[in-house]
Amino acid sequence: MKKYILVRALYSVVTLWLLVTLIFALVRLTGDPVAMKAEAGADPAYVAQLRHSWGLDQPLPRQYAGFVGRLLRGDFGHSFEKSLPVRDIYFERLPNSLKLGFAAFVISLALGVPFGMLSALKVNSVWDNAGKMIALLGLSMPGFFVGLVLIIVFGIELGWLPVLGKGSSTFVWSAPSTWATFWFSDWGHLVMPAFALGWYFSGAMLRITRSGMLDVLGSDYIKLVRLKGVPEAVVVAKHALKNSMIPVLTFAGLNLLIMVNVSIVIEVIFNWPGVGQLLYDALSNRDFPMVQGVVLMSGLLIVLLNFAIDVLYGCVDPRIRLSR
Amino acid sequence: MATIPIGTDRTVAAVRAARRGYRVLQNLPLIPLLILGALTAMAVLAPVVAPHSKLDPVKPTREQCLAKFNFPDCPYVDNAPPFWARGGTLDTPLGTDSLGRDVLSRLMHGARISLIVALTGTLFAGAIGTVLGVLAGYMGRWWDEIIMRITDAWLTLPSLVFAILLSSVREPGLWNVVLILALVFWSRYSRAVRGEVLTLRERDFVKLAEINGIGKPTIIRRHLIPNVMNTVMVLFSLQVGVAVIIEASLSFLGFGVPPPEPSWGLMMAQERESLMEGRWWLEVFPGICITMLVLSANMLGDWLRVRLDPQLRNR
Amino acid sequence: MLKRSFAILLVLTLTCGVVWGQPILSGPLAKLDIKDARVEPARPKPKGTLNIGLHFGIDPGWLDPLGYYGAAHQFYYLMHDALIKPMPQGEFTYSLAEHAEVSADFTRAAFRLRPGLKFQDGRPLTTADVKWTYENYRGLNFKPLQDKLDRIEIVDDRAIVFHFKGPFVDFLDLYNGSGSGAGWIVPKHYYERVGKEAFNARPMGAGPFKFVSQEAGVRVSVEAWDEYWRRPPGVKFINVRGIRDLAGRVAGLETGELDLAYGMTGKLLQRVMADPKLRWNPNFTSPWHLVFPGYNEPTSPFHDKRVRQAISLAINRQFLTRQETQGIGKPWGNWISHETRDALRGDGTDLPVPPYDPGKAKSLLAEAGYPNGFDFDWYVPFAPYYDMAERILNDLRAVGMRSKMQMLDAPAYMAQTSKGRKGFPGNRTIVQRIDPRPGGAKALIRLYAVCAGQASYICEPRLEALWAKHEASIDPVERDRLSRELQRLIVEEYYLVPLYLQPFVHAVTQKVLPEGEAVQRYWDTLNAPFPWPWEVWEVKG
Repeated sequence: MKKYILVRALYSVVTLWLLVTLIFALVRLTGDPVAMKAEAGADPAYVAQLRHSWGLDQPLPRQYAGFVGRLLRGDFGHSFEKSLPVRDIYFERLPNSLKLGFAAFVISLALGVPFGMLSALKVNSVWDNAGKMIALLGLSMPGFFVGLVLIIVFGIELGWLPVLGKGSSTFVWSAPSTWATFWFSDWGHLVMPAFALGWYFSGAMLRITRSGMLDVLGSDYIKLVRLKGVPEAVVVAKHALKNSMIPVLTFAGLNLLIMVNVSIVIEVIFNWPGVGQLLYDALSNRDFPMVQGVVLMSGLLIVLLNFAIDVLYGCVDPRIRLSR
Repeated sequence: MATIPIGTDRTVAAVRAARRGYRVLQNLPLIPLLILGALTAMAVLAPVVAPHSKLDPVKPTREQCLAKFNFPDCPYVDNAPPFWARGGTLDTPLGTDSLGRDVLSRLMHGARISLIVALTGTLFAGAIGTVLGVLAGYMGRWWDEIIMRITDAWLTLPSLVFAILLSSVREPGLWNVVLILALVFWSRYSRAVRGEVLTLRERDFVKLAEINGIGKPTIIRRHLIPNVMNTVMVLFSLQVGVAVIIEASLSFLGFGVPPPEPSWGLMMAQERESLMEGRWWLEVFPGICITMLVLSANMLGDWLRVRLDPQLRNR
Repeated sequence: MLKRSFAILLVLTLTCGVVWGQPILSGPLAKLDIKDARVEPARPKPKGTLNIGLHFGIDPGWLDPLGYYGAAHQFYYLMHDALIKPMPQGEFTYSLAEHAEVSADFTRAAFRLRPGLKFQDGRPLTTADVKWTYENYRGLNFKPLQDKLDRIEIVDDRAIVFHFKGPFVDFLDLYNGSGSGAGWIVPKHYYERVGKEAFNARPMGAGPFKFVSQEAGVRVSVEAWDEYWRRPPGVKFINVRGIRDLAGRVAGLETGELDLAYGMTGKLLQRVMADPKLRWNPNFTSPWHLVFPGYNEPTSPFHDKRVRQAISLAINRQFLTRQETQGIGKPWGNWISHETRDALRGDGTDLPVPPYDPGKAKSLLAEAGYPNGFDFDWYVPFAPYYDMAERILNDLRAVGMRSKMQMLDAPAYMAQTSKGRKGFPGNRTIVQRIDPRPGGAKALIRLYAVCAGQASYICEPRLEALWAKHEASIDPVERDRLSRELQRLIVEEYYLVPLYLQPFVHAVTQKVLPEGEAVQRYWDTLNAPFPWPWEVWEVKG
């Protein structure tokens, strides 16, 4: 077992290193940020000083070594556009994205799971076909389309919901009182973007729930329970539901991470100050350290999650850890 | 003993063929094929069938200019509504946009862009991913390690982020978007294909070929690749929908196909303000087109998956 | 009796004159036109909140005047103050300084600060801070300020003299708070104690509003500082939010989440204008113009003046301004903003409005040797005005000049244009440009119209001769005259083709006082991209 964990950890480190190198190279290929930030007619001395303070006048290998060295110490550098440390800005924005992600996650579960169950229980009926169609529709409509329609209908025409940003509540790391209140305030601002983001995933949730329930309902265990004469409602509620939640929850965990990353377009439309919008601004302005920092943080989280899942599977299923 | 009358062989064969054909047709997913067929026809025939140019504004008549600007002569009439609303004409049945271009023609040309980008991008991604996956699965330890580590690293990057990053490296353009899609999505194929190949190479016919001394490249070409095609095709059809949405998102954010080309995502991005002005048709029609394309691709993909995976067939 | 009172009066006046208006510099002085500040200490307490929607993301680095460039202005008027700065009274208005002198040969400049000035933390603002700010300034234009400086002499706590190595005629233009950031005084004691980074996170200055909090890139919140020397501000809180997306800003105005928003352009301008609950100001910035990199090479199609003139005649500016700006924009005959003091107006008073004559354009092209027009490589639009570029391309195509758009996003465009001639390879490109920078016409000419200009595509002997005379002269009247002559020559020879004066419309909601059209007074400051000063703003409730 230990060998398995060690090997997996090694793989994760290699993956991370490859990721770092890839991002470093790609970001530098996008152009020269100094030329883009300095206006026409800027003093060459000012431009040179800017280049030096950003470390871009050093040869590439030294930049790379410095970059990796600082990364190992947890220093992601200073944003070119925002003049503050990348790490600080990222963690300032992260709670906003998490709030949006959680809300979208809850909505996708609330929409997907009941309909999925309904589809599975009434398999191959009208309900099932309707459920499958709804799932497909969810997966087919781009999130920004849904978001735009919501803004027009609920924000502007009806005026029920605000359209800009996240409201005035802020998650301040240094103020513990905000740690709890932040998640439950300004719901009005949260509804539309969370719905637009969660809509896509509710389709996936529906299908996973459906196939999970069908698996369980067809299993021997359920057949036995039915033979014992347990009423159908109890079969469904107590036995089938519990067991079919496992694949749903595994998938949901990954989905949450994906959501946080895919939310760029939603955050841009709704002006939601999250990590996605941070990345979009940084990419638009060739802000190297910010792009590197945000992408690496997301990558780090995904690698860690994969590692945890691998270890978990290894514990649960001996065949996996004993194979090559 | 029953006797079969002579001379009816051909009729029986013909009837049997017809029955088989009918059953095949019955089992085909008609709706997505119809939608896809319509969209493909639109895309292919767009330069011929589209009523107006995709880039140039529609030349207006005197009456139109007078009605809108109180002037007998104007370069174009912008923001005309669809033909069923007041002020719309059948000449521009779905209206015109803010530069006076015909929406219907632009939608038709946009179908070309979406289909070309999605299909070729996914095709290239599939090609790269399949080759790498087969190599990883079959060629042995080092190939496997290296390719899989790279694949893992590639997969940790969220696709939209990666796509935007790549698009900043090069100038915006249609073939750059294809390249981006190929580079972003190949890793999804290599994983699945590698898994397939790992099972395949334990199969008898592969082992037999190896014993007979047939070279590795030939085995890959003759035995492995045809047998992974099932998985690849399913993945392909499911990925086309994703590719369309990624292309639309990229163009929406301004990182994809550049103006004035009529990519559907770009049309939606450019007309956001029109939506606020009440000119919903400029925004909604491209959105519906995207949804239809992705929907039919997904439905087709589902059907293929069920057909090609016997375990799922009875669901 | 009369004689004695007269004598007392004389003595009193002399003493007052000696104490109060005592000149700091000896010798003949240059004539300066600096307006006095309007000090109104007896104003009511600040109340209400103003929410501003900025059309770009906020860079916390802008809160630090030592690194000043461009867009940061928004925040300097909020949180900092300068010795002299543009105000509604005039381009040069006393602020922290109450008296300024420049020697007649422009080698010395002196200022006297108002008495009793403080920073927002209560510590006094003295000439030591002025000197420290000048010496540590590293933002735009710091090179000429550093190079030309000989030494800074602190006469006392309130009086300071700058000695230059030679005549520095443009010093006041650069020190005026818009040409550079050296005039915005930074507290030496605070900056040295906390360092640059902490200063960016929590800035402090001498301006009318105190920093409260910020979310990097998204929002900066400030609160009124009642002890501002000029007057207590009218608004208690101001939130500046960066909202890049036009639809979002308009939506914010309509739902009341924003009270003031910038950059109402394009399709939504009509909606803003038609909305009875919103009031708007045209806020003219600067004229759009077209430039031709490499036009002076013989192989370029734009080498012939007739071709450039044909381009000017081919563009239907009336239709363009109607479509792009709902008719607010004015077709203009100059490429420099009319609000700078030495600029020629392009509305017919100084320079004629360019006519629209596609027939004549085609005949000029035929004369120049292109009877069927020609293809050129690229048209480079100014991001994100791509629709406008397409309209112009349509106009050009109608007379036979065909091309495609080169899509550059804003940072790439900035990078290419700042490289000057090297930014655009080949000589068959047209670039669309606008530049509302302060500093007068001469700043733009220096940058864009002379051989040595960093971003210049123009190099003509007649212009060089005039410019050399301009730089050698130390008579401001003569310099202005030469600058005007240069502008006229540039326009008449079509080295640049001006289009129209760009309005960058700002809109306010009902919440902003005073009611009705009197609100337009907030935009009285000349050549100001934003409606400063901020301390005069008032809102309801």
